[in-house]
Amino acid sequence: MTSAPVYEALGQALDAQKERLRPCVHCGFCLPACPTYNRLGNEADSPRGRLHLMQAVVEGRLEPSSEAFRTHIDRCLGCRACEPVCPSGVEYGTLLELARETATKAAPQGLPTRFLLKVLGTRALRSPFFFIGRLLRGTRLAALGAAVLPSYGPFRAVRLVLAMLASTTRWQPMASEEATSRNTDSGNHDVSRRSRVAVLLGCVQEGLFTRINSATVRVLEANGYEVVLVEGQDCCGALHAHGGDLECARMLARSNIKAFEASGADLIAVNAAGCGAAMKDYGTLLEGDPDFVQRAEEVALTVRDVSEILASSGPRIGASIPCKIAYDHPCHLLHAQGVEHAPITVLEAVPDAEVHIVAGAEECCGGAGIYGITHPELGGLIGGDKVSAVRACLADAVATPNPGCMMQIGAGLRLEASNEGVIHPVELLDESYRRAGFYRVGGAE
Amino acid sequence: MYRLLEKGDEEPVASLLTGKVSSGMTRRLPSTVVSDLAEIVGHEHVITDPDCLLVYESDGLTAYRRPPRAVVLPSSTEEISAVVGLLHSNGIEVIPRGAGTGLSGGALATPEGVIVGTARMNRILKIDVENRIAIAQPGVINARLTEATNPYGLYYAPDPSSQSACTLGGNVAENSGGPHCLKYGVTARYVTGLTVVLAGGRIVELGGVGRDPYTTLDLVGLFVGSEGCFGIATEIELRLLPITEGVRTLLGIFESVESAGRAVTKIIASGLMPAAVEIVDGPTIEAVEASVFAAGYPLEAGAALVIEFDGTDAGLDLDADRAEQCCLEEGAIEVQRATDPEHRTKLWRARKKAFGAMGRIAPDLLVQDATVPRTKLPEVLAGIDDIGNRYGLKIANVFHAGDGNLHPNILFDRQNQNELELVERASKEIMQLCVDAGGTITGEHGVGVDKRQYMTLVHGPAELEAMAAAKRVFDPDSLFNPGKVLPAVEVKGATDTAKILAIGE
Repeated sequence: MTSAPVYEALGQALDAQKERLRPCVHCGFCLPACPTYNRLGNEADSPRGRLHLMQAVVEGRLEPSSEAFRTHIDRCLGCRACEPVCPSGVEYGTLLELARETATKAAPQGLPTRFLLKVLGTRALRSPFFFIGRLLRGTRLAALGAAVLPSYGPFRAVRLVLAMLASTTRWQPMASEEATSRNTDSGNHDVSRRSRVAVLLGCVQEGLFTRINSATVRVLEANGYEVVLVEGQDCCGALHAHGGDLECARMLARSNIKAFEASGADLIAVNAAGCGAAMKDYGTLLEGDPDFVQRAEEVALTVRDVSEILASSGPRIGASIPCKIAYDHPCHLLHAQGVEHAPITVLEAVPDAEVHIVAGAEECCGGAGIYGITHPELGGLIGGDKVSAVRACLADAVATPNPGCMMQIGAGLRLEASNEGVIHPVELLDESYRRAGFYRVGGAE
Repeated sequence: MYRLLEKGDEEPVASLLTGKVSSGMTRRLPSTVVSDLAEIVGHEHVITDPDCLLVYESDGLTAYRRPPRAVVLPSSTEEISAVVGLLHSNGIEVIPRGAGTGLSGGALATPEGVIVGTARMNRILKIDVENRIAIAQPGVINARLTEATNPYGLYYAPDPSSQSACTLGGNVAENSGGPHCLKYGVTARYVTGLTVVLAGGRIVELGGVGRDPYTTLDLVGLFVGSEGCFGIATEIELRLLPITEGVRTLLGIFESVESAGRAVTKIIASGLMPAAVEIVDGPTIEAVEASVFAAGYPLEAGAALVIEFDGTDAGLDLDADRAEQCCLEEGAIEVQRATDPEHRTKLWRARKKAFGAMGRIAPDLLVQDATVPRTKLPEVLAGIDDIGNRYGLKIANVFHAGDGNLHPNILFDRQNQNELELVERASKEIMQLCVDAGGTITGEHGVGVDKRQYMTLVHGPAELEAMAAAKRVFDPDSLFNPGKVLPAVEVKGATDTAKILAIGE
């Protein structure tokens, strides 16, 4: 048992948030939206149950270091599917982060989580980490390991990591080059009136998906936006906040706020759903910081998913790429940001790309950071259901605008030896623009 | 022959004020029982950690709290039978629980009880399109059955406001209603057969499509609405309805709840047969409009009346015109008509999410449930308003006006002990008011633990004994959900055992 003063300190983070907990009236409407409750049937693994545990900590009836609190708070995917169905508007995502911080302070998280958070939050460690990742990917060692390693014991996690890594390889659209038509642009693009847009480069995105960042810049420019480069930006801090390291998340948020303020951009384009959700919540994250809260709120107001920007002006139509694309909603785009149609609008700007929404697309893929490693069984179950739903689409590729989801679904497909590619919607649009010749300057690309 | 126990004799659980019981009072299960349970359902589906059990300390009615000794989550009829058999042979009480959305404390644990949850029994076993019948496990969510049968042009009619979360097993236990029960009737009308686990773990089949329940003793009818006091339904055979061709949804805006209530009386008296007639009052409009389910109700309105007609398309517009006329004659400020399915869904969502949305305007609420003759609606509503004013409590009304089923939502703050007492007193006065008006103490939420104390307002000793006798037939040792529904009564001159049985604890 923890002594009273220590206990109080631990419960403090949550206690300060009492007002956020109070709107929950225990109606239970969130239960069916929760992927963990649907599979386990234990109410401690439901949003209402977790809120009840948080409330018990605040009321002093439950130790934040207790196994019950740590296990069930940790087991949450953080998908926030419970938020849109909550009639009382409980800010579950914010409360979860505070609960994670409370639980983490009471008892540190597992080594894989701590390692990953440390690496992603430190620029000097990030570069070599992702360099090794790209090396494993480029030499095809990752693909080989994923194919030959057994799926039991200690190999299971390694196999999953390698499969995730291998799945970040670029998908070559199936359509043949000859079949593509020339520019079919509708031509209603007033290039001069578009805003100045800064692009968040991110940590994983920069380390493993530079092609998506480049595609984002090209696609925005092709739609008439002026893209400004922002020096000094860092990881958005989303994974740290989700992992309960709110201090590090705040530090990263402050760096980003300073950097993006200095850029003078009208909007910040984000191509990773998790990062967008986190940045739109910077105001909440820094609400206890009087020097920054106002600035955080102002910056947050300029954050957009790249698809929102493109859809708002009606993306330019590119060249045809005949293919069948399965679209899956990232939770942090659909549930956390309420963005449902914009990425589909982006895909639909590619003529002859046939878009199918994955059955159960609103349910989490089980990616949730490194959930597959920290919760192999449950993560495997949730991921397996998603992979089956994707495969049932019989698509050429699955599109989902978040690196975590891309890697989770990609790894699942790879481990089942299924051939679907994994893409970000702007990648397809970018390829479509390239084929349409939008990027040729004086005949050269 | 029977006397009610004096106040004070009654076990503390039947009071809002003493409902809070700390987990320290819960006695752990013997380890042999725990390991035997784990053998039946699997180790991970037996919850005994007192910290984890906190989440099961209440259902949708949080005013009463008491964690169970354990929670068991079986996945089949056979597992439920084995679990109940094991617990009952050890003299341990069983409290059935569905999704825990109930509002009368029906799934509240007893101090010695173990909760048997149906959350993992969530499969639809059969959809028989030709016979318009579905067989489902009790943990299937109400709305999922309609979703699953929609592709066949069918749906499941009872639509409690919690239908997106509540389970069919819970619906059977509570004989749940919903807005459309005005025209279509409550759950009992749709249950044609049940597989039930009785005391001691015995599995019995009641009714079933092949067997006409009306030519024999209707045990299905007896079981539906028994609030978990007779046994656990493990397979439920339900009647489905074809989706109606047309639907018209109207929204009448009124200055006061009373005038909306008069409009309801006028609509029904005019011979119209609406599918649903719902009233949402001013404070509720305020809460809903502040929520994500805002439907664009005018904030200054005193009440909104949702009226729906369904059936063959021809004639529906005429019905809607007549209802609109009734509203205007009773002083409606305006009457809108849903223009498309999306608009209709939005109107209904606002009504159906009202309970949860109350969290926007108060930290706690007690959703009351009572029924009065429709013609008494205006005076009863005025009476409730008066009670609220006298106790200084905010009471928001949202209810199934068409069948006189009231849901006064009493808003309060649990942390204010004084307020809790006022809530309890106001609740009791509201019940008395409804009974005096010729109504009764529940419409659809069941008696549970909350209404138990009001049973004597409407039932005499003879009826109560008949109910107790019915329970004894199914559950002779009172090991299924004791302490619910029936008030604490003492059998004069009976043995100690008989006394305990009648009390239900």
